[in-house]
Amino acid sequence: MTRLLRICAATYLAAACVGVCAAQDLHIPESPAAGQEISISTSGSGKATFYLTGPAVSRKNDVPLGEDIHLAAQDLRNAGHYVAILCSDTCKSASFYVSAAKPLSLTFLVHPSRVPVALHDAISGVAFPFDQYHNLVLAPVNVNFQLNAKEASLFSRAVRTKNGVAWFRTPSGKSAGPLQVTAALDDVTARRAVQQVASDPCNLRITGQRTKTGILVQTEPVHDCAGNVLPDGTIVTFTATGPHGKGTVDAPIKQGVARAQMDSTGVAVISAASGVVMGNEIRVEARP
Amino acid sequence: MSRTVKRADYFHLFAVAGILFLASSLNSYAADAAVQVQLDVNKAGPRAVESLTERGILRDYRFAWSSMAQALQFNTLDSLEGPFSGQARQWLRQTVTSQQQSGLSRRYSDQSHHLEAVFYAPEGDVVELHDTAQYHLQILDGDKTILDENVVVHYVVLMTPGADRWTIRQLQAVPQF
Repeated sequence: MTRLLRICAATYLAAACVGVCAAQDLHIPESPAAGQEISISTSGSGKATFYLTGPAVSRKNDVPLGEDIHLAAQDLRNAGHYVAILCSDTCKSASFYVSAAKPLSLTFLVHPSRVPVALHDAISGVAFPFDQYHNLVLAPVNVNFQLNAKEASLFSRAVRTKNGVAWFRTPSGKSAGPLQVTAALDDVTARRAVQQVASDPCNLRITGQRTKTGILVQTEPVHDCAGNVLPDGTIVTFTATGPHGKGTVDAPIKQGVARAQMDSTGVAVISAASGVVMGNEIRVEARP
Repeated sequence: MSRTVKRADYFHLFAVAGILFLASSLNSYAADAAVQVQLDVNKAGPRAVESLTERGILRDYRFAWSSMAQALQFNTLDSLEGPFSGQARQWLRQTVTSQQQSGLSRRYSDQSHHLEAVFYAPEGDVVELHDTAQYHLQILDGDKTILDENVVVHYVVLMTPGADRWTIRQLQAVPQF
């Protein structure tokens, strides 16, 4: 009789345990967005330990089985892979993904910050949309790129993001000056500035005259081929070749003109160059 | 006699230093070697990925994952400093801090990553990768294993070049590409 009672008790306990273990389960809503509150429903009875692991979260707390587990917005701020685990006698788990919320900012990279005018494929920009929790928004969205110089629009294009990125590449404009580059996505706008500067000089011409102390040489106003004045500080190299050898002087452009004083008493042939551009040659006679 | 003793001391000192150096090298090699990474750059654009760049990304991505695995297993922050930056470093730091508070840890082993470069910026200042990662994941509460399974996770990764390495700025798991 005792033996029979023991067997019955053991069978009852085993059945009860199987009942609890089998009933303990998790049901997670499908694909919540970052920062969204969700409830995970559980089944079974008794107490269990709930774990949530994911990007930037590792949470553990006791929960009553059969009731919903509330996850606050703060628990699911980061998009990515989460694992929810419910442990009683055994552990059951369910994984789910949190996707990015709607875009709230743009990371906008523009190159270069300074560019010569009229250069092919010289300016490029890359934009990544992020949500308020800094998750990359991978759902396709349209980003409007615009390039404006003073009042004129040089470039305008809507680009749909692919894999969370939109980009453009375009030639630089024809006029030197500041260029505003904008990426816009709904109400979100990111602005960058690119300084367009004159390109290589065009028709570099010099004049020279003998003075009491040597030869004064200077350029005519130096422009690029589009008529932009070369910026101050651009170096022009003057080279004088005479009977006593060769002399070189570097002079920066100041207000469009570069000037240099060269020491030479005899006949001198003077040339000028700036970057890869050669100017004209002049001959200055010897001092009388 | 004194000179003999000194020589012997130096010998022991060098021997111990050598063994320690060898052990640490083998340890870091072992950690790195456990992470298998393949990279396909054929679909990268608009800029083509040069072979040196490809090797650099491979090396630094592998190192980043072994560092991350170490940080999340032992709940330490030091190994996250070099290979991660920006948002990725921030959420990893938060993960470690959160694990320290809850007493949990994660163990990533048998890692295999199939990387595909899907975007390489015109000026080479950012690369986007898709990683199909397979690994054995264990989550532990103290010494008790509460999850033990092989998983396949897809990651969207943004890496940017630093002075001497590529760092992961964004590491975001997605259900599929």
